[in-house]
Amino acid sequence: MYCGLDLGSRSVKVALAGEDGGFTLRKFATADFYRRFGSCRDGKLAVDFRALLPEGAVVERVISTGYGRQAAAVAGARAIPEIKAHVLGAVHLTGLLDFTLLDLGGQDSKVALVRKGRIVDFLTNDKCAASTGRYLENMAAVLGITLEELGQHYRDPVELNSTCAIFGESELIGKMVEGHPLSSLAAGVNYSIFRRIRPMLVRLLSDTLVFTGGVAQNRALVEILSRELGVKVVVPDNPQYTGAIGCCVEAKLG
Amino acid sequence: MGYRVGLTTTIPVEVIYAAGCVPVDLNNLFITDPHPGALVEEAELAGYPRNLCAWIKGIYGAVMKHSDIRVLVAVTQGDCSNTHALMETLELAGIKVIPFAYPFDRDRDLLKLQIEKLMAHFGVDWPSVERARERLDAVRRKVWVIDRLTWEENLVSGWENHLYQVNCSDFKGDPDAFEREVDEFLARARERSPRREEIRLAYIGVPPIMDDLYDYLEERGARVVFNETQRQFTLPYAAADLVERYRLYTYPYGIFYRLEDILREIARRGVHGVIHYAQSFCFRQIEDLIVRQKIRLPVLTLEGDKPGRLDARTRMRLDAFLDMLR
Repeated sequence: MYCGLDLGSRSVKVALAGEDGGFTLRKFATADFYRRFGSCRDGKLAVDFRALLPEGAVVERVISTGYGRQAAAVAGARAIPEIKAHVLGAVHLTGLLDFTLLDLGGQDSKVALVRKGRIVDFLTNDKCAASTGRYLENMAAVLGITLEELGQHYRDPVELNSTCAIFGESELIGKMVEGHPLSSLAAGVNYSIFRRIRPMLVRLLSDTLVFTGGVAQNRALVEILSRELGVKVVVPDNPQYTGAIGCCVEAKLG
Repeated sequence: MGYRVGLTTTIPVEVIYAAGCVPVDLNNLFITDPHPGALVEEAELAGYPRNLCAWIKGIYGAVMKHSDIRVLVAVTQGDCSNTHALMETLELAGIKVIPFAYPFDRDRDLLKLQIEKLMAHFGVDWPSVERARERLDAVRRKVWVIDRLTWEENLVSGWENHLYQVNCSDFKGDPDAFEREVDEFLARARERSPRREEIRLAYIGVPPIMDDLYDYLEERGARVVFNETQRQFTLPYAAADLVERYRLYTYPYGIFYRLEDILREIARRGVHGVIHYAQSFCFRQIEDLIVRQKIRLPVLTLEGDKPGRLDARTRMRLDAFLDMLR
């Protein structure tokens, strides 16, 4: 059995792969994961794999990625960069070799140009969370709706100009006060994400866009991307596990 | 020994030495302080905005801390306009500020006039400035050797290359002592076996505000073999005439002139990828789009804000970049 571990900022994703090619997927809130399975050993994080994995599971190799990978000292585990993990996962899940990858996670956004299954260029956001899952969570909370509800709307968006995730909230409240319908407010939030990532996407665009990370579950954003960019948007099943699955793929490769 | 004169960036330092004064590159004074972050905070407490270049704030904090620096030469053209407000706030604090402007179009007559105005201020003549140039050139030539040993013989680390070249802006206030340091280093470096990093990188843009970039890269099998701006501080072109030297010097002039030097050096040094560093809130972030169009190698753009160590995001981006180059 092989194990892929994506130590993300909002959640930790675990993918287990058997010889049959299927994956077992588990997700933990980040704080919960470290409380239950993490301990400090020689100044580094050690993960208790016996508690984490199913009883009796024999894991041949563990590959980790994500913010925590630098600190995680797991016996036999090797760390790979997040972009590599996501591209490996996306190639495995979609069977595509030439595409642009868009990964929108809890606190960051990445765009990679993939040719023949390899990264040839990439861009990431820097020092700002205004195009990430965390931003959507905050905006949904301001609107008093769930993320699922937020992700339904793309028509008649209100215009939100703020480039800051925090000041964006005040701007959204301002629009609510003006009496715009909920659907337009939610569409405005989804469009603001699109506008933030568009400069990165335009620079590395392909005919096919593979969209991964938790934010890929937002159906409205998928619709906006395909309409505005005129490209095919592919979202793999369980897009938030792409990095963990990519780690599993790497673990199998040895 | 004369009084200390602060510099906001590299200027014709020969003039300061000819006057018997001691130049102090304020960037170096800031970043080598035991607590550079505290100097930035000092400036913010005084009222400098949070969303402003930390180098400018650090220089302000450094001048306020070192009360023996009462005179400084500030580059008003060829660096950035934040320097203007830095000058004004320091003037308010009683510091004497002497402006120096590199002409945007590298006009020889205008540059000569600027140098002569600086000379008049310090009361020195051309023969004494030329003598200072000859003395400093002897040291610069040795630092050029450090640079050559970096890329051609692979005996010098990226950080060492950075350190010795960056110190050529003021020669640490004592060219004789600095020359001895350089001599000792060269003797040591020549005894080493060549390094074997598989990835060769160019570092372009202003020097990094974080101090562990070079080590981080080398721990991962990549080495910087070209430090663009730091090398410029050594005036790497062998023209004999002082005005011509500061006209060939690329840093204060436009990005296209800088790119001529960058493209020549990355080809000569067999570089695999380029790191373009731009300070947070710096106008040079705009120039990144030109850099990316003109350089036909993979480019990673890094942004740094406060002094300190590489943050998790930057490390992740560096890892992915190196992985891509392999």
